[in-house]
Amino acid sequence: MTGKQTKTLKRSEEIGWRYAPVDGHWDEAMRPSGFPRSHWRQLSVAVGRMGVRQLAHHWETGQQLIQANGITYNVYGDPQGKERPWPMDPIPLVIGQEEWAMLERAIVQRATLLNTMLADLYGPRHLIHDRRLPPELLYANPHFLRPCSGIAPPGGVHLHAYAADLARSPDGQWWVINDRTQAPSGMGYALENRLVSARTLPNVFSQCQVRQLARFFQAGRDALLGLAPSSRSTPRIVLLTPGPHNETYFEHSFLARHYGFPLVEGADLTVRDNRVYLKTLSGLEPVDLILRRQDDSYCDPLELRGDSVLGVPGLVQAVRSGTVAIANALGSGLLETPAHLAFLPGLCRHMLGEELLMPSVATWWCGHAEARQYVIEHLDQVVVKPTFPRFGQHPEFGSTLDAKGRAELIRRIEAHPDQYLAQEQVALSTAPHWTEDGLAPRHIVVRVFAAWDGQSYTALPGGLTRVSTSSSSLVVSMQMGGGSKDTWVLGTPEDSSPSPLIRPARLPAAASRTMSDLPSRVADNLFWMGRYAERVESIARLVRVLLPALSGEADFGHAASLETAVQLMTRLRYLPKEVLRNSISEQRRQMTRLLRELAFDQSQTAGVGWNLKQLRRVAWQIKEKLSADTWRVLQQLETGFTRTAPSIADQRFVAEMLLLDQAIVTLSAFSGLLMENTTRGHGWRFLDIGRRLERGLQSTELLRCGLAAAPVEAEPYLEMLLRIADSSITYRSRYLTTPRADLALDLLLGDEANPRSVGFQVATLCDHIEKLPQRDTQDRHPLEQRVALKLLSTIRLARIETLAIPDSKGRRDELDRLLTGIKMDFLDLSEALTARYLSHVTPSRLMAST
Amino acid sequence: MVYTATHTTRYIYQQPVSHCLNEARLTPRRLPWQQVQQWRLTVEPEPLTIATRTDYFGNQVSSFSIFEPHDLLTVTATSVVSVEPLPPQPDLSPAWEEVRRQLATQETSDCLEAFEFVCDSPFVASGPDLAAYARPTFQAGRPLLDATRELMRRIHAEFKYKPKSTEIETPLQEVLEKRQGVCQDFAHVMIGSLRSLGLAARYVSGYLRSGGKYQGAEASHAWVAVFIPGAGWLHFDPTNNVAPSDGHVTLAWGRDFTDVTPLKGITLGGGGETIEVEVRVAPGAKL
Repeated sequence: MTGKQTKTLKRSEEIGWRYAPVDGHWDEAMRPSGFPRSHWRQLSVAVGRMGVRQLAHHWETGQQLIQANGITYNVYGDPQGKERPWPMDPIPLVIGQEEWAMLERAIVQRATLLNTMLADLYGPRHLIHDRRLPPELLYANPHFLRPCSGIAPPGGVHLHAYAADLARSPDGQWWVINDRTQAPSGMGYALENRLVSARTLPNVFSQCQVRQLARFFQAGRDALLGLAPSSRSTPRIVLLTPGPHNETYFEHSFLARHYGFPLVEGADLTVRDNRVYLKTLSGLEPVDLILRRQDDSYCDPLELRGDSVLGVPGLVQAVRSGTVAIANALGSGLLETPAHLAFLPGLCRHMLGEELLMPSVATWWCGHAEARQYVIEHLDQVVVKPTFPRFGQHPEFGSTLDAKGRAELIRRIEAHPDQYLAQEQVALSTAPHWTEDGLAPRHIVVRVFAAWDGQSYTALPGGLTRVSTSSSSLVVSMQMGGGSKDTWVLGTPEDSSPSPLIRPARLPAAASRTMSDLPSRVADNLFWMGRYAERVESIARLVRVLLPALSGEADFGHAASLETAVQLMTRLRYLPKEVLRNSISEQRRQMTRLLRELAFDQSQTAGVGWNLKQLRRVAWQIKEKLSADTWRVLQQLETGFTRTAPSIADQRFVAEMLLLDQAIVTLSAFSGLLMENTTRGHGWRFLDIGRRLERGLQSTELLRCGLAAAPVEAEPYLEMLLRIADSSITYRSRYLTTPRADLALDLLLGDEANPRSVGFQVATLCDHIEKLPQRDTQDRHPLEQRVALKLLSTIRLARIETLAIPDSKGRRDELDRLLTGIKMDFLDLSEALTARYLSHVTPSRLMAST
Repeated sequence: MVYTATHTTRYIYQQPVSHCLNEARLTPRRLPWQQVQQWRLTVEPEPLTIATRTDYFGNQVSSFSIFEPHDLLTVTATSVVSVEPLPPQPDLSPAWEEVRRQLATQETSDCLEAFEFVCDSPFVASGPDLAAYARPTFQAGRPLLDATRELMRRIHAEFKYKPKSTEIETPLQEVLEKRQGVCQDFAHVMIGSLRSLGLAARYVSGYLRSGGKYQGAEASHAWVAVFIPGAGWLHFDPTNNVAPSDGHVTLAWGRDFTDVTPLKGITLGGGGETIEVEVRVAPGAKL
């Protein structure tokens, strides 16, 4: 490299990497001299070379990836909606090799220590009896689950996964500010951040030899399989989530996919004879290990919190019997209180015979008189927290309180000293953060992770770095709008060898099992998703076909006339018969109102809006089964129908037409995506059963009301009917003639080649039902099969030509009876399927205690 | 005295329950003054198994589940139990502040063990109102035993015993304001008052002999045990203003009602339910 080139490089580096830290804090990237720290050099040079514009360009791709992967985070009580896109920063936090080695040892030691403490506190409680830990921290701790006392988990592993929040003070020292032992979240987000950052900065990423994350997850998964108390060759592991409303639900579904474990809710599990089972379509399947992402006290309404609707009654007893393991063990949330931090150095010496490698942030538990005194005297320097936080309680910063607030806080502390603790406020370090104006310093807290690997603990070489909202804010909370960063731990060339980056670990055994592992609840939701999607589509189509009739203009080609439209809508009972006697303008007015209500009124149960809401509700329950594209399409649909219509009547009309056109196309896309992206397992089958059943019902009803009743139809009326059934093109290409009632009936009822006909739906249903898992029955032909076969033969044996002939009054009573019977059979079929496969969706209930 | 205690609970459901899981704490404890001679638990419909274990507080727990649809669940616990009269309570005890100090510093291992019952529990959290209620009785230097008896007497006098006036979930604060409740509330008020002063108290569930002069014999009963250094746990029944002796049969103890619920369960289905409870404690062994 010549001198000139070096100079150019330096200049470009200066141009791109413009970043000035704030005084009084350690900066992760820059030395006080203004030069990047050595482990940041490569990144800063690369970002410098890239320049602001190119980085912005790269970051656009990154953000699209976040969108495409559907990475979200639920914010409790957010009126804007349930989830937000994951806030991420393109500039990672870089941690050097040596520093990481130190952090790693400290994290592993801490996980080991906390696990040993849990084993003692849920076992002999020597720490209490030998007075090494104040008894309040155990006995007054609501997370001490007495029913779990005395239960020794397999391998003595209480803590399978552990997380710690680390902060760095101005002198460069790392401190642990929080321990997460309940059901630590963030690993999945860390993995997603990696996926995004490795693609946003691909060249730098490979140059920097960033350590891979995949191995950690693989080891953790293997260790879980090893902990499952079962002699079976492939233990069944499930990931238990509190459900889609949980703040980190995205992560639950992400990890479930990554590990290849079914994602289940409490209601999907049942305990029989002290064994846990998953309720699946094929019946009850034994579960060997539960990877728990639900707080332990909510896990069993019988022995733990009785008000929990999320739990599995009898779970604690099953754990006690040793038939199932839970990771982390029930009760592990005990150590989340920071109150024990002050005692850790002594406990570490006592229990592990080692010095604690990383200090915890200075913590004063007010239960001790001297500590309380100190806190009250130094209130403006500390953060006061409840010893055992409950939902909705936040830390209080002494320095931000006025005299009155301070006096009030002191009063509360003195009333219940053991319920408060105070911590030193670490002057958090800063790291460069990408803003619209270039790089700016933001405060950071790094969440690091350790997991049991079968022998000991292994630390994730990386982490989830969380970022404050501004350079002056020291609050780092995703709930409060902070951001996140990927965390790059630098390694040697071997560490970063291009092993498969992040690919769901799916064993063939797991893949073949997913079919029968489908929880009944998921099947139920898929079934209803199919039904609602079809309902939305059929209403949209109905409104779309009828809308042109309102204009009365000829340029809508084959458009139905107002007269035929009103005729049909009275027959379908959307309008009262009396409307037919009204004046044309009054009919138009009523028809307009009806169609607008059907399309846009959210409260109309027969309308598009309401059914769309239902569709979204059931889709939300099984979010993890849907691809990001499917979600986006659903989102689009909803936005379309909630947008306010233009006020000018003409514009509004055109806008509505366009919207409905679009909606029908979007709906086809939605159905297509669903059908294409759902594996052809039983889940897909239930989705399609729902759709076929609904379409069968809709078409039967359309035929019954539209054809069976008098008076005999004119051609435009039949044409309209065919269009609503989306079969007018098929009709014309098949019969090459103007619409005739008998031919239309044949096409819409009996023609099994027409995907819109009732016959087609029934034939498909028969096929599905035959392939569903057989269970709980000695019948050779269970009820649902018999009903389906009856439907099929009814339609195949129907004499269409005779049925299509009207009687002297213009009625087709025979057809009416036939179609009524078919409709009843459809309803029976729905009930039979529900009873056989979906019935144990019933929630459990607490009995009154006596 | 030897008693036969029969405790029957009937759940009558409006719609059939498809299955249920239950936990019962209906076995009398074995104590220096109480022996269980015979015990039987009958459940209708019959569960496949009834498993028993000892819980965190040393109580016997029976758990069972029923997997056949039913609209009536009957649980009957029958115990033949002999209860000796308790020796009279000592006359002397340390000043209550001294006991508080010993508990706060967990001076002896007994104090450390008793300390768990100073801490808040799900139904009984200490608080300024409860402390204020107890204060007039706990004058400086007053012996704990003396003050506790006075507290029991006051609760008995100042609270109205009114069956069905409260539910299991009625907050303690409300009981304190309305000054009425059942034995469970009386016990909770007394425990809460003592804890608010830094003293250790636990909840005892059991039976009263039927047909006696005491209130609360028609269902399961509840009273209080207080920790007194040197003497151990002494029992007080604030509902009847009496120190339990051979007229009280002890079933279980814990921090409050939640730890010793005689019968609880979870059902699938069922809808509305009616509960009938019958307790009969008669002299003699008739199993």
